[in-house]
Amino acid sequence: MKYVQYINSLLKEHVSNNDDLVLYGQNVDAGSCLSGLTRGLSSHNRGLTINTTNSENSLVGIGFGLMLNDISSVFFMKQMDFLLLGIDQLVNTYNVIRQKRPSASFTIFPVTVDSGYEGPQSSLNNFDDFCSIAGIEGYSFTNNVDAASIISKHLTKPGFRILSTGQRILQQEVLDLQNLYEDNDCNYFQYKKGDDASIVCFNNSLSYGLELHNVMRKSSIESSLFSVNSHLYSNYSRILDDIRGSKRLILIDDTKSRNRLSDRFLVDVLSECTLKNKIIITRTLTDESFYPCKDTLDIDYNKIVNDITL
Amino acid sequence: MEQKKIDIIKKIIWLRLAQIFVNQRYKKGDFLVPIHLAMGHETIAVAVDEAMGKQDSLFLTHRNIHYNLVKMGTLKEELDEYYLKSDGLAQGHLGSMNLSNPDKNINYTSSILGNNLPVGCGFALANKVKNINGVVIIVTGDGAIEEGSFYESLLFLKSNNLPSIVLVENNEWSLATRINERRANIDFSKLANSLGIEYLSLQENDPFEYKDKISLIRANALEMNSPVLVEVKLTTLGYWYMQSEEHPGGKFINYHGGPAPEVDEKEYPQLVSSNEDPLFPLNNYLSEDELIDISNELSEQLKEEIS
Repeated sequence: MKYVQYINSLLKEHVSNNDDLVLYGQNVDAGSCLSGLTRGLSSHNRGLTINTTNSENSLVGIGFGLMLNDISSVFFMKQMDFLLLGIDQLVNTYNVIRQKRPSASFTIFPVTVDSGYEGPQSSLNNFDDFCSIAGIEGYSFTNNVDAASIISKHLTKPGFRILSTGQRILQQEVLDLQNLYEDNDCNYFQYKKGDDASIVCFNNSLSYGLELHNVMRKSSIESSLFSVNSHLYSNYSRILDDIRGSKRLILIDDTKSRNRLSDRFLVDVLSECTLKNKIIITRTLTDESFYPCKDTLDIDYNKIVNDITL
Repeated sequence: MEQKKIDIIKKIIWLRLAQIFVNQRYKKGDFLVPIHLAMGHETIAVAVDEAMGKQDSLFLTHRNIHYNLVKMGTLKEELDEYYLKSDGLAQGHLGSMNLSNPDKNINYTSSILGNNLPVGCGFALANKVKNINGVVIIVTGDGAIEEGSFYESLLFLKSNNLPSIVLVENNEWSLATRINERRANIDFSKLANSLGIEYLSLQENDPFEYKDKISLIRANALEMNSPVLVEVKLTTLGYWYMQSEEHPGGKFINYHGGPAPEVDEKEYPQLVSSNEDPLFPLNNYLSEDELIDISNELSEQLKEEIS
């Protein structure tokens, strides 16, 4: 099953259990329904489902207006970069709404465009920046386990947040994992436990971490594997405990945000853990980074295996 | 004159007096928060207050004092909010430019141009979901309608059949530039017509015409499940002329915000002898002595309230 079909099935199940939910966005109930993400939701939704105008700024404000009037909604968006048009509402309106602690829910669900080749525009995956700008809750998900938990816990929870996953991931087969640990608020998940190294993945980079874990295992290096799903800073005590034990950190972050959450995490690691070695894998962005390209991280897994044990 | 009409006249005079009270304190430097007085905007605020039904809701801008005051009917809570006191209208959490009052159906106020329009749209959509038979009234200005959210919101309201009034307070000015100094003219009638939206233009500040017409278009919005676009041409009073060598006759200074330096307490609070001052047309309905008596009575009440 493709990930998009899996997410769609989770959404259908969750939507079916809610009354008076407004689902809206451009083409959410027309054409390909955002490449299948929202297909068939209208028949499961007992509230309104609206194919909207192309008015992202207003559509963000409309979600807050619904919220003020006690109606929960989800605004689906084909590309995260469309959300740039709504920044006034994300910051200024949310700063008023958050004081009122509304009982209704508002979730924006953009797809992070990370499939490559879009060129200088439409390739924004700066989820950290959106969350940072007004302290907005945000969660990304990459596999069966975290998607099920995050959608179940957060899609219609009172308050406001952004949920997103990657366009590239959506078109792949479901990454079928079992988790060892799940933070109460879905801030982070642990999938593997090993004593030799700690792999911590941010944004949509879990698949790289999983590949690295498997390559290391072939060289008899056992590693723990974590994915940080929340894009706001949280308590990472379990991850820090693991790093204290292994003393070796491999951090992978595929975001294009300049204001990376993983940098803040690294401050905690460096101030609270004694390390024998660390390898940080992030993007180095130049003007050329925005040429049409495959947009994935180039990781030499064998080199990491050699370097991390030095 | 019937009592209802006298009460409308009293509201207009009271709104002016209350703002002058605020201005007197503002001139002394009492407030840390920026306040945008709305002297000259009293007639439309009273007309909206008179026309609103119990399930209607208001969405305001940075210049909201007239609507907040008329909906409260008292000054102290708003004054305390400006002082950021815990017993202010919003416990000192909102100040002036974002002051809302859900208990009085003022559900959201934004200091950002064009920001309140989409929020009002969402509120109206929720009314539809909840089968609430109310009209959402979104107040905006001739500067804010230059934002894309104005068009986007009109389109959304019409597309989703939402009973609403988008009310443009057109005072000609955006800070220090007049409309003709910053943009092409917008023909609201044609704009509204292009979207299949009813349009109403108001000017000259006749209190009873304003009340009747706003009440009528509110009823139309409800009956047609549609937005109505209202343009109110008005003057924000408090402007003054600055003398300088370059401008010996005085340079016109538009009042945008802050204290109005040349507005003081006086026997009767009319500022200008023309229809640009909402108090001037009241002379068509009551004598000068009657208006002064009303003003004196209301002034005493205000002093007592905030003493």
